[in-house]
Amino acid sequence: MNEGIAGKLAKQFINSKITPLLMVASLLVGIMATFMTPREEEPQIVVPMVDLYIPYPGAAPVEVEARVARPIERTLTEIPGVDYVYSTSMPDFALVTVRYKVGEDAERSMVKLWSTLMKNMDKMPPGVQFPLMKKVSIDDVPVLNLTFWSKTKNPYELRQSAAAVAEELKKINNIGDVEIKGGLKRQIKIELNKAKLQQFNVSPMQIARQIQQGNSQMTSGDFKQMNQEIVVRSGKFLESAEEVANIVVGIYGASPVYLRDVATIVDGPEEVNNYNFFGWAAAAPKGSVAGEYPAVTLTVAKRKGGDASVLADKVMSRVDGLRKTAIPSGITVTETRNYGATASEKVFTLLEHLLMAVVAVTIVVGFFLGWRGSLVVLASVPITFALTLLIYYLLDYSLNRVTLFALIFVTGIVVDDSIIIAENIHRHFAMKRQPKLQAAITAINEVGNPTILATFTVIAAVLPMVFVSGLMGPYMSPMPIGASLAMIFSLLVALIATPWLSFRLLKTEEGHQEEYDITKTGYYKLFNNILSPFIESPVKRWIAFGVVGLMLAGAIALVPLKAVQMKMLPFDNKNEFQVIIDMPDGTSLEQTARVAKEAAAYLKTVPEVESYQYYVGTNAPINFNGLVRHYYLRQKANMADIQVNLVHKGERKAQSHDIAKRVRGDVQKIALRYNGNAKIVEIPPGPPVLSTLVAEIYGPSQEQQIALAKQVKKVFEETPGVVDVDFLVEEDQKVYNLVVNKERAAFRGVSAEQIAQTLRMSLAGMDVGVLHTDKQLDPVAIQVRLPQSGRTSLRDLSGIFVQSQGMGTLTTRLRAGQMIPLSELVKVEEKIQEKSIYHKDLRRVVYVTADVAGATESPVYAMLDMDKKIQKLKVPGGYSVNPLYTANPTSEDKLSMKWDGEWQITFEVFRDLGTAFAVVLVIIYLLIIGWFQSFKTPLIMMIAIPLSLVGIIPGHWLHGAFFTATSMIGMIALAGIMVRNSVLLIDFIQIRRAEGVDLKRAVIESAAVRTRPIILTSGAVVIGSVVMLFDPIFQGLAISLIWGGVLSTILTLVVVPLVYYMAERKSDKPSIPKNS
Amino acid sequence: MISLLPVALALLVSGCGGHEETPIIRVSPSVPVAVESIVPVRTNGEPGTRELLLVPATSVFRNGELAGVLVVGADHQISQRWIRTGVVLQGDIVVLGGLDKGELVVGKYNPSLGEGLTVIKSPNVTEEVQNK
Repeated sequence: MNEGIAGKLAKQFINSKITPLLMVASLLVGIMATFMTPREEEPQIVVPMVDLYIPYPGAAPVEVEARVARPIERTLTEIPGVDYVYSTSMPDFALVTVRYKVGEDAERSMVKLWSTLMKNMDKMPPGVQFPLMKKVSIDDVPVLNLTFWSKTKNPYELRQSAAAVAEELKKINNIGDVEIKGGLKRQIKIELNKAKLQQFNVSPMQIARQIQQGNSQMTSGDFKQMNQEIVVRSGKFLESAEEVANIVVGIYGASPVYLRDVATIVDGPEEVNNYNFFGWAAAAPKGSVAGEYPAVTLTVAKRKGGDASVLADKVMSRVDGLRKTAIPSGITVTETRNYGATASEKVFTLLEHLLMAVVAVTIVVGFFLGWRGSLVVLASVPITFALTLLIYYLLDYSLNRVTLFALIFVTGIVVDDSIIIAENIHRHFAMKRQPKLQAAITAINEVGNPTILATFTVIAAVLPMVFVSGLMGPYMSPMPIGASLAMIFSLLVALIATPWLSFRLLKTEEGHQEEYDITKTGYYKLFNNILSPFIESPVKRWIAFGVVGLMLAGAIALVPLKAVQMKMLPFDNKNEFQVIIDMPDGTSLEQTARVAKEAAAYLKTVPEVESYQYYVGTNAPINFNGLVRHYYLRQKANMADIQVNLVHKGERKAQSHDIAKRVRGDVQKIALRYNGNAKIVEIPPGPPVLSTLVAEIYGPSQEQQIALAKQVKKVFEETPGVVDVDFLVEEDQKVYNLVVNKERAAFRGVSAEQIAQTLRMSLAGMDVGVLHTDKQLDPVAIQVRLPQSGRTSLRDLSGIFVQSQGMGTLTTRLRAGQMIPLSELVKVEEKIQEKSIYHKDLRRVVYVTADVAGATESPVYAMLDMDKKIQKLKVPGGYSVNPLYTANPTSEDKLSMKWDGEWQITFEVFRDLGTAFAVVLVIIYLLIIGWFQSFKTPLIMMIAIPLSLVGIIPGHWLHGAFFTATSMIGMIALAGIMVRNSVLLIDFIQIRRAEGVDLKRAVIESAAVRTRPIILTSGAVVIGSVVMLFDPIFQGLAISLIWGGVLSTILTLVVVPLVYYMAERKSDKPSIPKNS
Repeated sequence: MISLLPVALALLVSGCGGHEETPIIRVSPSVPVAVESIVPVRTNGEPGTRELLLVPATSVFRNGELAGVLVVGADHQISQRWIRTGVVLQGDIVVLGGLDKGELVVGKYNPSLGEGLTVIKSPNVTEEVQNK
C-alpha cells in the first residue's frame, strides 16, 4: 500500500520526541488564551447606527417631512454601506436614523455621514438648526447598573451621592460611559412673580438678558511693568443663589429692582421630572425591607473590546471603598444589572458543558476501545480546543455564547478523526498480522486519506454558514469559523498526536494467536443477516427502499401539519425582563407613575421576582434590544419602564419566557384600566428588531394609512397568540395654539419671536446660564420659569407681559419698555396635535407592531393566519391588500402592507442557510468526485443526507421543540458527518474489491468493519450533543444532531451499501440475475 | 356591600379632619387602623372651564421635591401616590396631577401609616359635612 500524507506524517511523529512537547505547548497556550480572551455574553456586533436630531422650531410634521426629512434621507441613501434610513418627522424636529450594513467600520461611516450632511446643509430651509449626530453602538449598553436607594434620603440627595460616585468611577481604566438615571439635579430656580413683574415694569426677557450678561468673566489682558506681567481679569461669575438674587434687573422710579424683588430664587432640586423607585419583591433575599423607595441608577458601560466581568469587579470594589465617604449611610447600593457576572457565568456554564460533552464521549469510546483507547481520544480533545481558543484570541474574538457554542457543537465531531485512527490502530493491533509499529502505520494509511477527505467534507458543510448576512451574521459567523478551525486542528492532532499516544497506550492483547477472520466477528454475522436478504431479493430491496421513502415523506409531512413549527430562535432563560408602559399622549407624569406603581405592585407579588424598579419620565437603562428599538428616547411624561429582575435561573423552575407570558395578561389589565398599553419586553435571543411582528403600511396618504393600520391592528388583536398589539400612531392630544395677532403686535412694537420666547420661558423654562461653583459635579443650571402653580391654565398666561421695543421698530409710537399684556396680542386656537410622520427608506409608513406568545410562538404562522383576514379588509378603491413578505411595495399609489420584524431576519437567515446548504452539497459532491474519480459514487454517498430528516423532524416533534436556525445548522453539519460515514463505507468496499473480493462480500464486510468507527463517531456526536439539550437556544441543534444522527446512521449502514450494490452490480458480475 | 359602607359614609361626610395632634399608631397589617379622616378628592368651581382638584393641605406629605398623599383604595388599603401640587387655597392644595376626582385620601398624613395597611375611619371623630 502506498503511503499517503497521513502515513508520512504519522511516521515522522510516531516516535519523535517533539510530539509530546508540541502537545504540552498547545495545552499551555490554550489555557493562557482562555483567561486572556475577554468574556462577554453577546457576540460582538458592529452595526453602525447614527441618530440625527434636526431641530426645525415651529414647523409642523408635514413641513418637517417635506423640507428636512425627505431631502436628508435622499442624500443619505447615496452613502455606500447604508442599509436602511428611517425618519420620524415630529412637530419642531426630525429624527433621522441611519443604519449601516453589519460590519461596516463605525468611524468611517461617521465620516461619510458627516461629509454628506455638510455637503447638503445649504439646501436646508432657513430656520433649520444644526443637526446633532449621535452614534449608537452596542458598547453604549450599560454592563453594570447600580441602584442607589434610601429610606431617608430624597431623590435630590440620591443623585448628589450617585454623581460623586460616578466621578470616582470614571477614574477606573477601561471604563466607558457612566450615566445617572433618575433623581433630581441641583438647580437655581428663578420663579417669576407675575404681579411683581408688572408692578416693577420688568419683563421675563429682560431678566434672562441681565442674568446672562451678569454671569460673565474673562481675562482682559495684562499690564507690563517693572519687569513683570500682571494679568487683568474682569467680571465675575455667579457663584451662589444670593449673587443671582442680587442682580439688578431694572429700575423702578429711582431705585434699582433686584431679581429677588420680582422672583423667588430657590437653590435646590429641580422641578420633579421623573419618578424612579426601587423595591424588593416576593423572591427578595431574606431580611430585605418591604416597600418601595426613591432610587437613582448609575449605569456603567464598557469600552469597546473590554472585558465586562473584569470591569464589573473593579467597579464593585471601588464602590465598596466609597461607602461612608461618597455614599452616606442610609443609602443602599444594590447591583441591579451585572452583565459581567452573567457573561462569566454563561462562559463557565458553557465550558462546563464542554467538559461534560468530552467526558461523555470518552466514556462511550471507552466501551468500544477500552480505557486505553478512550484515553487516547480524551487527550486529543483538549489539544484541539486549546489551539482553537488560541486562534480566537489571536483573531480578537471574545469568549461569548456563540464562540463557545461553536466548540460544544464540534465536540462530537473533533473526536471523530482521533476515534477513526485509534480504532483502526486498535483493530490492526488485534489482528496481529504485522509488528506493532508497522501495524500502526498500515492502520493510519488505511484510514488516513478517507479521514482527511471526511474532515474536509465536514468543513465544507459548516463553512458556507459564514455567508449568513444581516444582523444574524455576527451571531452565526464565529460558529463555522470556530468549527472549521477546530476540525483542522483535530485532523492534525489525529495524524500527529493520536498515533504517538496509540502506539504507547494501546496494547496488543497477549494470548490467542489464531488468525483474524472477519466472517467470525459479530458485526459480520449481523450484517450478513440483515443485508443478504436484501441483496438477494430485489423485491425485498424495493420494499425496504419504499419503507425508507415513506418514513422520509412522513417526517417531512410533519412540517405542513404544524406538528413541528418553525421559529428563528426560541427565548433564552434570562434573569430579567422589562415592562414598557405607554399612556395616551398628554398623560401627566404622576398619572403614568401611578400606573407604573400599580403594575409594579402586582409584579412584586410574582413569586420569581426578586426586585423591580420603575422609571417614569426617564428611560430604564437600555439593553441591546432597547438600543435598536430606540428605548433611550422614552423620556416623555406618558412613558414608564419597569425593570423586573428575577431570581437567578438556578433558583427557579419557570423559564423567564413562561413568567413573562404568565404576567402579561394581568399587567395589561392594569394598564388598560387607565387607557394605557403595557408590553412585556424580553431580551431577544438573537438580533433585536422593532417588534416580533411588524406590519408596515404604505399608501397614498397618511389618513388612509392610519385607517388601514387601525383595521390591521384590529385583525392583530383578534388573532389568538398575537399579544402586545400597538401601533406607532399618537393619540389625539389637545394643543392650544396661541396665534399672534401680527397687526396688533406690530402696532405695539412687539415681535413674534419675543412672544414665543417669553411664552417658552414662562412655561417650559429657560436655562439662562450655569452657576460657577467648583464643588458641584453636575452643572447647576439657572432657570427662569413661572412657578408650578402659576402655569396651569390659559388664564395664567394673562398676567404675562412683554415689553414694547419702542419706536426703533418703526411700527409703533409707544415708548420702548412699555409693558404689553400677552393676552392682548395672541388669540387661542384649540387644535389636535399633528401626528408624527414615519419614513422607512423614503416611503411613508405606519407601523403596527405585536408580539407572539401563547397560542402560537412563531410569528410565521400568525402571519399566515392574518393574511387571509387582511386580504378581506375593505379599503377605499375596492382592491384588496395583499401582504408582502420580502419585496417592498412597488408604488405608493395604492395601499399596501409588508411584513417585517423577526420575519425579515428569519427570512434572511433561512434564505442564507438554504443557499449555504445548496453550496455545501455541491462542494461535497466535488470533493468526493475528486477522491473517487466517479460521478455516480458521490450521489450514492449523498443519499445519507436526506435520510437525516427522518430523524430530525420527528425528533423535534417528540421534544415539542421548534425547528430553529440552530436546528438548521445541525442539519447542515449532519450532512457533512453522514457523507463522511458513507465515504468510510464505500472506501473500504473499493479497497476490498481491489483486493479481489466479490461485491456482495465486500459490501457486507465493509458494513461489518466500518460499523464500529461509524457508530463510535456518530455516538460521539450524539452523546456530545446531549448536554445542549437543556439549553433553550441550542436545543434545536442538539435534537438535529441526536435524532438525525441516530436515525441516519442506522439507515446509512443499510441503505448506502445496498444502493452501492445495486449501482455496481452491473459492472461486477454478469452472473447475478437482472432485476425482474 | 358592607365593605362599601365606610366608603359611602366617607363620601357623605367628607371634609378636613380634626386638628388635634395625631397619636402614633401602632401598625399591624391584619388589623384595620382607625384614622381620623378619609376624604375624597374634591373639585371646586363649576365643572368645565375652571375646575380644580383639591385635597386638604394636611393630607400632603413631602420627600424632598416629591409630594404625595395616602390614597385609600376600594379595599381600604393604603397606597402612596405621588402628586403634583399647585397653589394652596384656604387649607386645600390644588392637585395638578396624580389623583382623580372622588378618590379617597387620608385626610391627615401620618408617617406611621404604611403602604398596604387597611384603614377605617375612626368613628369617634365628628366630621363637618362638606359644603359643596
